[in-house]
Formats: sequence, C-alpha cells, structure tokens
Amino acid sequence: MDLGALATELRRITVAVLGDDHVSGSGVAWAPGWVVTNAHVARESHVTLQRADGTRAEARVMARDPEEDLALLHAPRLNGAEATLADNGEVRVGSLIVAVGHPFGVRGAMTAGVVHAVGPLVRGGRPWIQADLKLAPGNSGGPLADAHGRVIGVNTMVAGSLALAIPVSRVMRFVAKAR
Amino acid sequence: MDALPALSDGLATAVQHAGRALCAVHARPRVPSSGVHWRPGLVVTASHTVRVEEDLAVVRPDGRSVAATLVGRDPALDLAVLKVEAADLPVADLGESDGVHVGHMVLALGAGPRASWGVVSAIGPARSRNAESDVFSLDLTLYAGFSGGPLVDARGLVVGINTSGMSRNLQLAVPAKVVSRVVDQLVRHGRIPQAYLGVGTQVVRVPETVREPLHLAQETAVIVIEVQPGSPASSGLLIGDVVLSLDGHTIADPFDLRAVLRPERIGQRITASVLRAGQRLDVPLTVGERPPRSR
Repeated sequence: MDLGALATELRRITVAVLGDDHVSGSGVAWAPGWVVTNAHVARESHVTLQRADGTRAEARVMARDPEEDLALLHAPRLNGAEATLADNGEVRVGSLIVAVGHPFGVRGAMTAGVVHAVGPLVRGGRPWIQADLKLAPGNSGGPLADAHGRVIGVNTMVAGSLALAIPVSRVMRFVAKAR
Repeated sequence: MDALPALSDGLATAVQHAGRALCAVHARPRVPSSGVHWRPGLVVTASHTVRVEEDLAVVRPDGRSVAATLVGRDPALDLAVLKVEAADLPVADLGESDGVHVGHMVLALGAGPRASWGVVSAIGPARSRNAESDVFSLDLTLYAGFSGGPLVDARGLVVGINTSGMSRNLQLAVPAKVVSRVVDQLVRHGRIPQAYLGVGTQVVRVPETVREPLHLAQETAVIVIEVQPGSPASSGLLIGDVVLSLDGHTIADPFDLRAVLRPERIGQRITASVLRAGQRLDVPLTVGERPPRSR
C-alpha cells in the first residue's frame, strides 16, 4: 500500500460532521451505525453526517464528555466502511502516521508525518499521541492512523506545531462506557 | 513486502537506535536542550543553549543525571562540547555526512526521544556566520529543546547536529564530519583557533584607470580602514591600502579575506598584494591567532 491507497482507505472511514451545511469537523466511523468525534465538534443533540461518497445520514449525540473531548454519535442509517483499530500495539516514536479530515473545509485532505512522542504534555497531564504533522480546524474528530491504515487516535487539538490525538485505547474506554 | 509499514518500522527503529546516545542537557533556565554522546565521555550540544558554565547536568536516556563540564565551544557553528562521566553510555553511530544530499529523508530528534520528520532542503555555506563549512538546511520542525540533538538518516545513523540558534528563520544542522573536526579541536585546544591579520576592511570599487594598466580582472577589492596595534597586519599594512589578493587568492570582499584566513594558516607567511598610492606592491605578513575575546 502506498500513501495514496492509504488516503483512499482512510477517506472511506472518515465522515464530515455538518452544522448548518458547513463542515464543523470530522468523525471516525467506529462501528456499524456508530461514529466517534470530539465533543467540541458535536455541540447539538443532533447532527448531520456525510460520507466521502456524498451520502448523508442523521445522527443523535448519544454521549458527550467535554472533559475527554469525545462524543459518540448514533446514526442507524449510516452505511459503509468502519475503522480498523490499532488496539493491540505500542505506538512507536518516529513511526509514520497519516491524518484525514476536512481542514478549513477541504474535504478528505490527508497529511503525513511521524509520531513525535506519546504521553502527557506536562507532568501529570492526560496522555496524548503527539504527532509531527500539520492539523487545522476541521481535522478535529478525524482519524490518526498508522502505516497499515489502522486508527491509533482521534485528532483533537493543536499545540504550537504539534498535533494532539486522543489515544485509541482511551476512546475505546469512552465508547464502551457510553454504549 | 509492504513498503509503507516497512518504512514506518525503519523510521521508528532509527529513532530507537539514535536515541541510545541522546541526552537532555541542562545548561540554561527552563527548557533543557538536547545533546549527543559523540565520543566516550564527550557530549556535543548547541552552544547557544549552554548559558551557564557551572553546575551543568546531562540526563541520560535511562533518566540518570550526571554532572558535566564545558570543554569548549565554537560559536560560529553553534557547537559546544561537554565532558561527562558515563562509561556505560553508548556513543552515537555516526553516518557519512558527505553522503547526505538534498531530498534525503531525515529525522531530527530531541531528548525523550521525541521525533520530527522531513527532508534535507539545501546544503550550502553558512557564510554570514563566518563559518567556512557547509551546513544542512532542513525542511522539518525543530521543536523546543531540539537544538543540540541529532539529525538522523533513515538507517538511524547520526549525520549532523541540529540547531535553531544559528539562523533566525532556518532550521540548520552541522554535518557530522564537521562536528567531529570541531570536537577534535576543542579537545586539543579547548577553543577553536581563529586566524587573523588584525585589519578592519570595507569593499571598494577598483577604478578602470587602475585596473587596466595592472591587468586586473576583479572589479572590487577591500580597503583597510583599521589596523589593530600589535597585530600581524601592523608590521606591513597601512590604513588606506587596497588589498587585491592574499597568497594568490583574489580578495573581492571581506568574506574572501575570511575564507583565506583558515585556522591551518596560523603561523604561515603569506603575501598580500596591495595598491598603495597608485602603485602595486607585495607585503609579506605572518598570519596570527586571534587572541581570545573576553566573554
């Protein structure tokens, strides 16, 4: 698989979260009928989701944790591919990663980089996957994936030139509790 | 074989490998910088991050802190060498920095290890810094604390030392070969000897009426505007002399002067070809070593 094929695969599992017909962020197709995004992306009780192929589906915000900055959306009529999760391995510093999302409304844009570090930014803080790649508003809630296309985190914020993603294990814990 | 996962694993392994000789250097307030265990007991870091010269500490990859002393520094290349007691700490695997070309994929590392990824964007002289060596310009982010850390190739070999302190806008790295030369000199002398004549100069246009009878191709030369008392120049050069060449090398601007005055010329007798009162004459000079400046 090359970077192009990787981008194609990730676009299939990345949804756009729409608010008033503009893109308010990205989301990851987590399981059939379920989408994960950031809490700061899903601010209403209902949102509209759109797949890369243009199909839309209404979703209800089933759980929202502003502190974790995660939200779980239920969209029974959302068809299509779901993410493969990298839930079993360590994330190695220096390994290649890609993010797909809708930065500044550009649909399905891919950025590539490497893992900068894994852990809190300050002592005692929450753990992040710190990524050496460029994110912008619109990437929030979208997938950060390894070279196999497996999701390792949910892109959440930017600190200086660093991109910060919530590690997949933490997202899984949130989803398990919310469902 | 799948190329992308293989590349990914290769990069991660490169970080791991180079990270074994990567230290945090505590020599300034707040953010520590990075350093590389270059030779047994010697850690190289970026000179601009060594703000204090006492109570220096180096934190090894295993988290242990060891005391360090400053061996010397080369401000022109933004390098400093620290001495540490760390017999069991692996030294960096150095790569052939002459083999690094524009477009090569590289990683910059900071203590931790933390990683940044990009390519070599240009290779050229760091002329403005009075450093005669070529340096690497990097298309990557040098994060806070990355100065003094290693530039690593895709195999995990250290090919340079990174610094964001040498240029306001550029991310630069000093090639490993140059770093090794600086380490040699600092260990031997505790400083980088600098050749000097003791003149202040300025570019001057050589008029056509002067160039033609002397068959001079050069359009510019340097005019002596200052001669330091007791300096090598004071035995032969006068204010107002126009220096055309030095030891056969054309001098068109003050940078050419610096390029000729390399450290290995210290003690050598060379000839300056000068214009004085419309006449061309040869002035013998002995290249001296610039006295250490007080900090």
